[in-house]
Amino acid sequence: MTNLYFGVGRQPRRGGCPVRIGPGVELSAARQFVTANDPSPSFLARHQFLIYRLFSLAGLIPVGAFLVVHLLTNASVLAGPGTFQSRVDMIHSLGPLLVPIEWAFIFLPMLFHAVVGFVIIANGLPNVGSYAYVGNVRYTLQRATGMIAFVFIIWHITQLHWLGTPFGGGKFDPHHATSSAAVVLRPLLISILYAVGVLSTVFHFSNGLWTLGITWGLWTSPAAMRRANWISIAVGVLLGGAGLGALGGMRSVDIEQARAIENRMDDVKRMLEGGQSPVDHQSRPGAVPISGTTY
Amino acid sequence: MIKAVESAEHSGGAGQQAVADHGGNGHAAAPRVVRVRILRQDAPGEESYWERFEIPYVENMNVISILQQVAARAKSRDGRRVAPVAWDCNCLEEVCGSCTMLINGRTRMACSALVDKLLEESGDEIELRPMSKFPVVRDLVVDRSRLFRALERVKAWVPVDGSYDHGPGPRISPESQEDAYPLATCISCGCCMEACPQFTKIEVVRREDESAEAFEARKKTAFDAGFVGAHAISQAMLFNGHPTGKMIADERLEALTSQGGIQMCGNAQNCVAVCPKSIPLTRSIARAGRAATVWAIRKIFDR
Ligand code: HEM
Ligand code: SF4
Ligand code: SF4
Ligand code: FES
Repeated sequence: MTNLYFGVGRQPRRGGCPVRIGPGVELSAARQFVTANDPSPSFLARHQFLIYRLFSLAGLIPVGAFLVVHLLTNASVLAGPGTFQSRVDMIHSLGPLLVPIEWAFIFLPMLFHAVVGFVIIANGLPNVGSYAYVGNVRYTLQRATGMIAFVFIIWHITQLHWLGTPFGGGKFDPHHATSSAAVVLRPLLISILYAVGVLSTVFHFSNGLWTLGITWGLWTSPAAMRRANWISIAVGVLLGGAGLGALGGMRSVDIEQARAIENRMDDVKRMLEGGQSPVDHQSRPGAVPISGTTY
Repeated sequence: MIKAVESAEHSGGAGQQAVADHGGNGHAAAPRVVRVRILRQDAPGEESYWERFEIPYVENMNVISILQQVAARAKSRDGRRVAPVAWDCNCLEEVCGSCTMLINGRTRMACSALVDKLLEESGDEIELRPMSKFPVVRDLVVDRSRLFRALERVKAWVPVDGSYDHGPGPRISPESQEDAYPLATCISCGCCMEACPQFTKIEVVRREDESAEAFEARKKTAFDAGFVGAHAISQAMLFNGHPTGKMIADERLEALTSQGGIQMCGNAQNCVAVCPKSIPLTRSIARAGRAATVWAIRKIFDR
């Protein structure tokens, strides 16, 4: 049989995209076409198991844990701008530690997860067209929502985090948490895009919890997997609710009132810090003018 | 084979009717002819092409009997003489695992794919394609050596070789027998790999100047970098659960956590859905995941 392997005639098609060969028919062409002797496995190949497990762990801790804290913090706006402002103040009380903590526990682990995630996506060959099983749909959605989350998070950071300031973003003012976020989120299109981004990320995380349990061997029998599915659903509903709640809260809050509350809280903070008297908030660096109104 | 086809035609009334009626005015519920569209390929590396065939309908046909008739006629629907379509089969009762192909777009065993059911789901034409994750040898015949190489990789056997009597084997409780039995029914058909979105084709082409040994070695290296597949993970769990097989449990876990091991699984769970033997593959995968977790931690601390 081996002599059949002489490369006869034309070389098979290379590349990774499915070839349509008829209505509803896809030929999977994502294949490795080996022509040269493989060199000894690379560092990444030798540590593939470790890298994939760290990728999976990063999805839960710290990135997933951050997502939970972040969405619940945001949802506190439903209890009023004052509550949200005091949560934000708590985070910002970390002072100069905030930046290294953000990089070490949020940005870098997320970047690592995303890079490995893209490699995994590139090496897979989704086939829901032929095999439309629930598990397979979830597999495909896990990848789609991962990519949506990636785009969304970059946009979100640019828009609100101070890192985005050079790019015309960085609109979130930690001293005026609710009002500054509300101004950005108010346009309907932005709100819709946020809803899609947040729900995709929440699906990705809660469905990821379920696959993570299989990956690490927490649930092994089909019955246990079905039970664990309820955990996923509960987490998804809770976080989805928190995310949409935060968005709804930001949309419905009275921006002027919120601004007034934030100003009062800011004055108190300043007095506690250095005994300064209340300032003209409009001329403070970082203050955001709101629809031409001066506060 | 031709004899068998002829007797099938002349024995049953349905067959006679089918031969008589090629016009297809379709007054009866049952189709008189069966149309098949087969994705053919003349040799490894060649372009593939579709060829259509039409054969008389006989009651209770399966896909293998269609292929027998196609081979007997060796004539395409438009009347051209064509080389008979090549395919693999052996047991004809879903135990040898050799007849896997894509039937109406999905991986399954040709010998247990009944034509009446297929026509119900796909109208009047049945589509046959070779498996897409294994290199095509010719037409519907594929080279599944990667599947068997994967079993070698995870040492899917009980190590009892030796020149002296080891005495009676250990007793196995009925519970663990029951646990193990379903895993032992694997027929190495490759369906689980074909349907797996994480399992992609690896095709190695022999060079003109290459010896058979060098080619085999190169093939092995290429296969060993790819995903082992659900069947091998499940077999590793079968033998790691066996009291004698356990002796090399660590070697299997080493294999399962090396390149292309358990970590390649993306939990799509197609494997368990398409397995003709309904083997609880995802249970094996999750158990392998757990064993790999424990083993990796142990490896860190026992070093
Ligand atoms: C908020 C950010 C994110 C969180 C909280 C998160 C969380 C998770 C979790 C918990 C898993 C399950 C891991 C497992 O099954 O073992 C996972 C899987 C995955 N993530 Fe993310 N992720 C995030 C962002 C991303 C991004 C930006 C990408 C890149 C496109 C991505 C791609 C993937 C992929 C492809 C998987 C599936 C891996 C597999 O099943 O083999 N994720 N994620
Ligand atoms: S569960 Fe794993 S092995 Fe099975 S089809 Fe999905 S990715 Fe492939
Ligand atoms: S596990 Fe099932 S699908 Fe996979 S090779 Fe064995 S019998 Fe076939
Ligand atoms: S011929 Fe043996 S499984 Fe189909």
